Amino acid sequence: MSTLTASPVRTHDADPQSDEAIVRIALPSGALHPIDYSRLLAQVEELCAGVSDISASQIVEEIRRNVYDGMTRREFDEAMIIAARTLVENDPAYSYVAARFLLDRLRREALGAFSDLPEQVTHADMARRYPGYFRSYVLAAIELGLLDPQLAEFDLDRLACELRPERDLTFGFLGLQTLYDRYLLRAPRRHVDGAIRGDDGVPIELPQAFFMRVAMGVCLRETDREARAIDVYHLISSFDFMFSTPTLFNAGTTRPQLSSCFVTTVQDDLDSIFSSIRNNALLSKYAGGLGNDWTPVRGMGAYIKGTNGRSQGVVPFLKIANDTAVAVNQGGKRRGAACAYLETWHIDIEEFLDLRKNTGDERRRTHDMNTANWIPDLFLQRVEADAEWTLFSPDEVPELHDLYGQAFTEAYLAYEAKAARGEIRVCRKVRAVDLWRRMLTMLFETGHPWITFKDPCNLRSPQQHVGVVHSSNLCTEITLNTTAGTDGSPAEVAVCNLGSVNLANHVDENGIQEERLARTIRTAVRALDNVIDVNFYTIPEARRSNLRHRPIGLGLMGVQDALFRLRLPVASEAAVEFADYTTELFSYHAISASVDLAAERGRYETFEGSLWSKGILPIDSIELLAAARPEKDLEVDRSQRLPWSELRERVRTIGMRNSNLMAIAPTATISNICGVSQSIEPLYRNLFVKANMSGDFTSVNPYLVADLKALGLWDDAMVRELKLHDGSIQMIDRIPEELKQLYTTAFEIDAQWLVEAAARRQKWLDQAQSLNLYIAQPSGRTLDRLYRLAWRRGLKTTYYLRSQGATRVEKSTLRGTDGRLNAVAAHLSRSVSEPAMCSLDDASCEACQ
Amino acid sequence: MTDKFSSATGLGEIDRGAARVSVDDKAMINARADVNQLLPLKYHWAWEKYLAGCRNHWMPNEVPMQADIALWKSSDGLTDAERRMVKRNLGFFATSESLVANNIVLAVYRHLTNPECRQYLLRQAFEEAVHTHAFQYICEGLGLDEGELFNMYREIPSITDKAAWALEYTRHLEDPSFTTGTTQKDQAFLRDLVAFYVVFEGMWFYTGFAQILSLGRRNKMVGIAEQYQYILRDESVHLNFGIDAINQIKHENPWLWTEDFQDEVRRMLFEACELEIAYGRDTIPHEMLGLSASLCDQYMRFITNRRCTQLGLAPVFPSDVQNPFPWMSEMMDLAKEKNFFETRVIEYQSGGALSWD
Repeated sequence: MSTLTASPVRTHDADPQSDEAIVRIALPSGALHPIDYSRLLAQVEELCAGVSDISASQIVEEIRRNVYDGMTRREFDEAMIIAARTLVENDPAYSYVAARFLLDRLRREALGAFSDLPEQVTHADMARRYPGYFRSYVLAAIELGLLDPQLAEFDLDRLACELRPERDLTFGFLGLQTLYDRYLLRAPRRHVDGAIRGDDGVPIELPQAFFMRVAMGVCLRETDREARAIDVYHLISSFDFMFSTPTLFNAGTTRPQLSSCFVTTVQDDLDSIFSSIRNNALLSKYAGGLGNDWTPVRGMGAYIKGTNGRSQGVVPFLKIANDTAVAVNQGGKRRGAACAYLETWHIDIEEFLDLRKNTGDERRRTHDMNTANWIPDLFLQRVEADAEWTLFSPDEVPELHDLYGQAFTEAYLAYEAKAARGEIRVCRKVRAVDLWRRMLTMLFETGHPWITFKDPCNLRSPQQHVGVVHSSNLCTEITLNTTAGTDGSPAEVAVCNLGSVNLANHVDENGIQEERLARTIRTAVRALDNVIDVNFYTIPEARRSNLRHRPIGLGLMGVQDALFRLRLPVASEAAVEFADYTTELFSYHAISASVDLAAERGRYETFEGSLWSKGILPIDSIELLAAARPEKDLEVDRSQRLPWSELRERVRTIGMRNSNLMAIAPTATISNICGVSQSIEPLYRNLFVKANMSGDFTSVNPYLVADLKALGLWDDAMVRELKLHDGSIQMIDRIPEELKQLYTTAFEIDAQWLVEAAARRQKWLDQAQSLNLYIAQPSGRTLDRLYRLAWRRGLKTTYYLRSQGATRVEKSTLRGTDGRLNAVAAHLSRSVSEPAMCSLDDASCEACQ
Repeated sequence: MTDKFSSATGLGEIDRGAARVSVDDKAMINARADVNQLLPLKYHWAWEKYLAGCRNHWMPNEVPMQADIALWKSSDGLTDAERRMVKRNLGFFATSESLVANNIVLAVYRHLTNPECRQYLLRQAFEEAVHTHAFQYICEGLGLDEGELFNMYREIPSITDKAAWALEYTRHLEDPSFTTGTTQKDQAFLRDLVAFYVVFEGMWFYTGFAQILSLGRRNKMVGIAEQYQYILRDESVHLNFGIDAINQIKHENPWLWTEDFQDEVRRMLFEACELEIAYGRDTIPHEMLGLSASLCDQYMRFITNRRCTQLGLAPVFPSDVQNPFPWMSEMMDLAKEKNFFETRVIEYQSGGALSWD
């Protein structure tokens, strides 16, 4: 067939792969360049060197299906990537293939920004080019105003020698695509070879340059900054630890807003409400999540002295906060980056529970904002006693929100007595159990409001001498003081800078690698402490609190991977013990690192009077909670294994560099960059799709695949069965029982196991953890038991409740129909050819049941 | 005794003192039992589908469209071929959901004489309204020409041909004098169920889903793709309700399912497939990345065979026709973590649905 044919030359009949039509790529010059498939095969083989268990010819087959005549080079790149992606469900190794294809494009784009380049850059070429490229990139990015000019003061040649080009090959596709779409710095395009979306420009950062840029940004003020930056570079480029997204986005740039989280409290006057909303806008502008305490705002029907009128309550203001979050977050890409907290006795609590419903008055709904309950112990005690609960408007019970423990109970009882005497205008009694069930029902229906517990957050707070924890944050792992700044004291907005240790990289078959973990934590704590000083603060209230207290939030991720490596099922006593011991090590080394920093750099300003200064470490502060709760209401393991008394003494005498240290964040995106399981999450399914801003990504459990390959069980039929069973292996007969236990998925385990493991972690943490819980079948009783257990185990907070969609769609890629959505047999009973037919009178026949 | 027509519709005189309904009296068509009594249930599958439909409740305006609007308005976000496909695709769906709803309300409902099935039909009719709402929402969001979009079924021949083909079957039933009860008329009713549930919702919608989801997998028009995923979830239940209803009628009235009639149904599916192929070629005259009219042809043959199997018929096309879109696995088959189904509002469960004891 002539290549000069003007109309599309491909014709497919039954088999589209068999046609020999020529497909051409349109070059920017207008020339058409035919694809040479044998060259393409060689190129695919080169790119995939070192990736095992893949077939280059199968990839090329799949590419042929996606291409068309006259496509741009850019589209051809995409055709290659989507071809490899399609094969991921057959073998997780194809994720690395897709990543290699993307890397190939990225190299051409990034290197092409600085020089003219050949068509393709091999791995060997790249290793040679990296140091020279790195230097040009730093200088050019400074020139473009993207990077802080101080970065040029580093010894760039020394840093360039440390770059490890081979680490570019360690990304899975989701990780690299995530970096490509959002993290790598971009510059206006020099060479355009086809249409791409918007005016994003072209990425000029290769992954190792990106990691080094972040490391340099974080170590700007270190005395031996090259050596420190090199330490940090190795820490993150090896995926042993990863900073939170804002740090990765902005470190080393001209606008280094590096903090993840901000927590504020809103006062009960219009000035404060609207300045809070303004602060929300400014804080979220440069990527940061918000937790807002709204409890002080008076409720519906409360008296307004200035106008002699009645208040509409807190809900209309929440709507404004919601809309502000939408407006400031550009393009809808970061919607829902705020969370409103309300304490359970607030008169508007019932309306607050409904904020996320999709029915009702839209003016009183906040679809884009998260919500959370701030629950005092006394409420849960009333629930357990099936007693009444009184709702108040905060203007009439002004100190209630600041109190906790016994003092709260006394004040609350006094207000109830006052209400009984008719001396309170706005109040109402409800049955505590009814309100509790409504909380759980709304949590189930809408995923909100989350359940968090006020008393443990405060009673165990090391900073209780200088304020009150009024709420948690956007992800329920931060528990820091906030101050509104009335009565003369300056306002404080709590700030937290986060980073997470990848636990998966710190275990081998013998268990946890303690030395390596200690080293990682030491470097990480130091780097997070640096962030406080190099940070750009959008509002003064944030700067003030962060420099005074210097809190950081060191977390964990890859916990499920670690369990798989050690072959411990999530739903087991061994996994609970593992959570306990690893978090103990984590806590020990983190505190130790902060003490060392205090020795070197000095204590944080408000150290004196803190629990730390009294030698009360997180593991000790459980006793403070125990003292405030009746024995039956706190059932927590308190065993210890490490030499805590020595460390306690060092903390007390030397001091701490940071008021707060540990908070286990969700790591939703950074765990994808590192290619490990999120935070402390169990395996979602063995085969599923991760959906995020960059699109949908098939994820197949590589540990399961490796085990099944070893048993000779990984084949096409297994892929189909996994798909049929929605990623569960429990119904697949040929899989051995041991693997079924190990690879149980999130909805298949009893969520109580997750609470038990979380309780053991919470023992050691001075802040909290983003704990998601899962429920397979809707049951109020299960929810009630689960959340009461969370409380009784001393947890500070919980996060999302995940449930499942009601029905699934017909599986499109399985051969034949799975028949799961049909209940009536397709063949008539008189037919004898079909054994599965049914007689309608036969009650034992499953087909119609 | 009331006349036959009225008892089938449920609008007849109330039969005072009649014997109570027993399960055995219930039937899919031509039932003698009172159609106003839901309990005792006979067809649990119909009730289950009603519950599933309620649990799947969603509203179009919950899906953000900002990314789609930005892409649609940018000059180089989509190729001309992709743009044409999106418009033709929306043009087909925009009125199809209404045609399907009309068929349920004006034709099927009267003749399906079972209260639990009718319960499902009422739910389905509402879902069709939600889907029409989705196309209104998309049309307004993207700032499309509403006249162009909603008139495509009259102005674009390949769309008109499909709508006209299906409408033939409704028209038989819509006639106020039409009643089931003879073999010929019962077969006419079955034909209508095939035309709408199996062909319209079970075949024609599927090319449309594939087209939009092929953009979705490249992270383009993600808001529309998300809405199509919701619609697809609903349509999966619609289709399979239709399949179950047809098969149930077959079991109860095996004399309707003659060899000749089976051949006729297979012919209908074949014709429908041809119409769809013509529409596919019209929608995608030029190839685009990852999608071509010929791949759509193959896909439609694959789907047609699948529907044959579900009805207990021999396949219309060679039985080795495969789905040419393996990537649909990612877009449709696999469970999604985050931001999609699992944080859905499941409104019906408010209050009583969670059991506390």
